[in-house]
Amino acid sequence: MRRSSRPQVAIVDYGMGNLFSVKHACAYAGMEASTTSTAQELLAADAVILPGVGAFGDAMAMLARRDLVSVLRDIAASGKPLLGICLGLQLLMRESSEFGRHDGLGIIDGDVVRLEGGRDHGRAAKVPQVGWNRIHRRGAQAWTGSLLDGVPEDAYMYFVHSFYVRPVDPGLVVATTRYGPAEFCSGLRQGNVCAVQFHPERSGPDGLTIYRNLAARLPASMPEVQHA
Amino acid sequence: MPEIAIKATDAQLDAKYGLPKEVRFCTRCVMSNQRPASMPEFRHRPDRRGAKYLHIDAQGVCDACRYADKKEQIDWKIRESELLRLLDTHRCADGGYDCIVPGSGGKDSAYAAHLLKYKYGMHPLTVTWTPTLYTDYGWRNFRNWIEVGGFDNVTFKPNGRVHRLLTRLAIEHLLHPFQTFILGQKNLAPKMAARFGVPLIFYGESEAEYGNPIAETATSLRDASYYTMRNLEDVYLAGLPIPALMERHGLSLNDLSAYLPADGEALASSKIEVHYLGYYLKWTPQEAYYYAVEHTGFQARPFRTEGTYSKYNSIDDKIDDLHYYTTHIKFGLGRASYDASQEIRNKHLTREEGVALVRRFDGEVPERYVREVMGELGMKPEQFFELCDRFRSPHLWKREGGAWSLKHHVS
Amino acid sequence: MTIRMIARLDIKGPNLVKGIHLEGLRVLGTPEQFAKAYYEQGADELLYMDVVASLYGRNSLLDIVARTSREIFIPLTVGGGLRTLEDIQQALRAGADKVALNTAAIRNPTLVQDATTRFGSSTIVVSIEAIRKPDGHYEAYTDNGREPTGVDAFAWARQAAELGAGELLITSIDREGTGEGFDLELTRRIAEAVPIPVIACGGAGTAQHVADVIVHGKADAVCMASLLHYHLIKQDGKKRRAGLEAEGNLEYLKSRRGFSKIQGTSFPAIKAFLGTQGMICRQPAGETVHA
Repeated sequence: MRRSSRPQVAIVDYGMGNLFSVKHACAYAGMEASTTSTAQELLAADAVILPGVGAFGDAMAMLARRDLVSVLRDIAASGKPLLGICLGLQLLMRESSEFGRHDGLGIIDGDVVRLEGGRDHGRAAKVPQVGWNRIHRRGAQAWTGSLLDGVPEDAYMYFVHSFYVRPVDPGLVVATTRYGPAEFCSGLRQGNVCAVQFHPERSGPDGLTIYRNLAARLPASMPEVQHA
Repeated sequence: MPEIAIKATDAQLDAKYGLPKEVRFCTRCVMSNQRPASMPEFRHRPDRRGAKYLHIDAQGVCDACRYADKKEQIDWKIRESELLRLLDTHRCADGGYDCIVPGSGGKDSAYAAHLLKYKYGMHPLTVTWTPTLYTDYGWRNFRNWIEVGGFDNVTFKPNGRVHRLLTRLAIEHLLHPFQTFILGQKNLAPKMAARFGVPLIFYGESEAEYGNPIAETATSLRDASYYTMRNLEDVYLAGLPIPALMERHGLSLNDLSAYLPADGEALASSKIEVHYLGYYLKWTPQEAYYYAVEHTGFQARPFRTEGTYSKYNSIDDKIDDLHYYTTHIKFGLGRASYDASQEIRNKHLTREEGVALVRRFDGEVPERYVREVMGELGMKPEQFFELCDRFRSPHLWKREGGAWSLKHHVS
Repeated sequence: MTIRMIARLDIKGPNLVKGIHLEGLRVLGTPEQFAKAYYEQGADELLYMDVVASLYGRNSLLDIVARTSREIFIPLTVGGGLRTLEDIQQALRAGADKVALNTAAIRNPTLVQDATTRFGSSTIVVSIEAIRKPDGHYEAYTDNGREPTGVDAFAWARQAAELGAGELLITSIDREGTGEGFDLELTRRIAEAVPIPVIACGGAGTAQHVADVIVHGKADAVCMASLLHYHLIKQDGKKRRAGLEAEGNLEYLKSRRGFSKIQGTSFPAIKAFLGTQGMICRQPAGETVHA
């Protein structure tokens, strides 16, 4: 197989999500990205990104229809970098209560619940949260060596969501965000699995840092292998 | 019920009013060779004797587009210095007026008056002939022109009975609802100039920009034949000679005087000059819109004018919509054709866009105001539309399945 | 929670244009130049409107959307002439994050419902362009402010929210391009009537206007055009004039005039001003400013 000299990232295409912005952000960070829904390509990639915009139940159904559920679990177990974005973060969890109870991928123990509205700095905090909000580092070293390495503490990122995750193990939480009465998990990490509630490909230069970090941890240029 | 003086022979002509029998469209703008060049309205007879139409040359380019090309070559600095010299010789320091700007507060007169006063230090007197029926925005823009822009204004309102009668007659004999306004507006300024002793008059753009004989663009002056008469016998108003108007319709010379041009000899001795500001300054109508909004409180209408896509062109008179509908009937050219052609020449639109706009909007029936205007004139909308049908030239229109359609579409 | 500052780029063909009362197509430069500058200056989002799409029955923004999304990594909303689910799909594929629907949605409200079901609420913005009538009603207009609909703007806003729209973009046609300030009543009444975010558009002439529409208009986000564009071209006139194609009303740019109705300002200045008024905005990378 002819291997490109650039790291290959596979973006899971299950019919939902802003694949193109993710793809462009990868390209900008020096990675070659392709959208795919085949297990083979996902397993062959250097890293996998699970994006997502939409409803949890629909997403799980789409993943199931494409036979991607066990594939994603395998990828998580393989040690390969797996980045979940927005709904992609939520899908990693054990279950969600969006429009009824749904099973998730179960890669991370915890559930997904609805954001409460309320007031935020004197204004109505509407649901979904649409807009820029700060992410707070959980502990001084929480981001060191992770995909958030180099992102300024309390940086602004772009959020569009009505639900948030509650991992059972608080040690997994690397970033939190305040909205309305809640302070929720906006970023978590479990070994090779890193996932964020916000959209790093839509969060300007700080968001792009995350993509650059991903690129930096992938195998460097591979020599081209020629076949006879 | 007034007589409808359409001669039976007209219906037998293949092409009415001496229109070119073969319809050709300019390959650059969307005008056709059916577009009438300006003629002095007071010589306008039902058979349009002596009328000229837009010339399209062997390469398929019309005179207006050729002129637009020439405009690109003009050294506007030189032209402006000519303007400055002209203004210097007229500028008043004794508190009087030194120029007349005719208009109604539309974007063009707003632009012209404001420039002359605030940029060039002149002391204009604005002169207005009232529209037949003011639109809300027209009235507001007129007021703002004076109040926000800051000008003295003399407004002439003609005798309502006479105006309504003449307008109705113009529709019946010429299908020209706008004639009385044109007569009034074009003839008023020179007369006011004579009365106030202000010999310098400024209009905006020359009609040559739109297709009058190209020779007219060589000078800044409006030809005196457009606004003076030598002989009352040559004059036709509403398509009728003066004696017919007086005998058949009981109008006196005094009744008609507002619509008559100034006497040629009298004016010649008065040194009155009518200039086009568009000769001296590069005129972009769309920029006149922005300028008018910026400086004289002008506001575009919040809806599209019927028959076109524009919201700021000629929006002060309700009868305007009917006017462009009648040009569509008589010449196959509606408002969108006029607006788009001008914008194509100014390079705001591509020809393709112009064609799309004409196809979409030209000839739209003027539903919005037709009832009110007809009511004002003592006519019924049905009469108007019946008259329209009689004025359709067979070389332009065909009737299929109970509906009229143009034989030729711009493409 | 921050108040989002959004730059609106009206586009015709290859050009960025700016009218008054949604009329007039004065060219100010190319969209790419402006988009890049605003991204670098801290815009939170961009809005691209094809202002002649409905007029010509076309939408020609796909190329520029695709180009933008390769270089600019903040949310991009695209509107103008989007009529069907396929149109929306195409816009999203080209790189748009959200689409704004006006003409098609008012004519056929089920489009809103279908679109939100298919693409998600957060992807669908309903754009309402309104004019204040003498009797105090606000009427919604379509086709870039050309066709009255007879539809009450407030009733339509509520309906759009119920049909699943993620956000509402509210433009005052009376104010837009004039620099005279937003229509606070229009914005506030809608913001108070719907549970979804409301983006105010139309009339910003100074940073104070922006503050006013947030406080008194209850806007969740503010969309600006003239305020930003006229300022940007002052700074970089030569660059703006370079690379322009011959098409369009270029007279203003060539003349290098000012436009006295707009004071003009930039994102950093607006955000700094809002900060002094106690409003929270996203600050550029590397800075942490506490309210």
